[in-house]
Amino acid sequence: MIKVSVNGKIKELQKGLNVSQMIEALNYKTKGFAVAINTTFVPIAKYEETIIHDGDTIDILAPVQGG
Amino acid sequence: MKNEELRVKSDEWEIGGKTLKSRMLIGSALYPSPANMEEAIKESEAQIVTVALRRQSAGESSGNNFWDIIKELNINVLPNTAGCHSAKEAITTAQMAREVFGTNWIKLEVIGDQYNLQPDPFETVKAAEILVKEGFEVFPYTTDDLVVAKRLVDVGCKILMPWGSPIGSGQGLINKNNLKTIRKQFPDLKLIVDAGIGKPSDAVEAMQLGYDGILLNSAIALAQDPVNMAKAFKYATIAGRLGYEAGLMQKREFASPSTPTVGTPFWHQFS
Repeated sequence: MIKVSVNGKIKELQKGLNVSQMIEALNYKTKGFAVAINTTFVPIAKYEETIIHDGDTIDILAPVQGG
Repeated sequence: MKNEELRVKSDEWEIGGKTLKSRMLIGSALYPSPANMEEAIKESEAQIVTVALRRQSAGESSGNNFWDIIKELNINVLPNTAGCHSAKEAITTAQMAREVFGTNWIKLEVIGDQYNLQPDPFETVKAAEILVKEGFEVFPYTTDDLVVAKRLVDVGCKILMPWGSPIGSGQGLINKNNLKTIRKQFPDLKLIVDAGIGKPSDAVEAMQLGYDGILLNSAIALAQDPVNMAKAFKYATIAGRLGYEAGLMQKREFASPSTPTVGTPFWHQFS
């Protein structure tokens, strides 16, 4: 198992998961969000090839009201 | 009042590759309810609405409900990078926004001071340069500083959004001279007064300065009646633009009667 920060909360994940598998493991069901790892954007096209590592900081962002 | 009565010379204008009629950009935050937001945006007849990205918990769907309402409005969305304090954060947020919202438009906000939410000019210019190269249409939120404006233009910005006053302050246009200077120095740039507009007369003033549009949120959303305030700002924006296009009279130092003096009654000349 590895420890990562997801939206500011520490989570445990299986080692070697890619972004798609991480999203599934974290139980994100709704679409319409974007992912950044260690403040770097990960486009959908790179979900399969991007592996999550121990200590990664992951941000999953979705639309909200803004000014 | 019928909308067809409100004609301006240039009924249509262009910004970021889109042709629009409304010169008002409206925010989507701080409304009493999503329904109120939706109605206010509709009443404003704005064709650009600002949105943002924030962390979403697993299983949370409120963000999607909001996004569904905005999509239903069928108007242009302008995602912001609100809350970012560095070029790196702003660039990443812009890239994420492009994927989520499906637009290359980005309202670039890089905050340099938490007290007055003043933009950080150095990080803003740095981020703008990279985002322009990455194909974004950058709407940079900046102060009314002419040199910062020049630097943003130097790195490829075709739109500038100087503040009227700090975000959410409702103080109106605190430095009209600086705003005028930016307009004068960049006659061909699209200029939007963003932030600080507190009342409809502020919108009129901004438009009378020759600005191409205004962007506001708090003044509408925090009004006692946001829907009617949205309508008030719609007319104020049109009135200001009409006033600008019609050409304002020159100020005079002394009084000058408007009624003809020739033929003034009860006046007798004794010689």
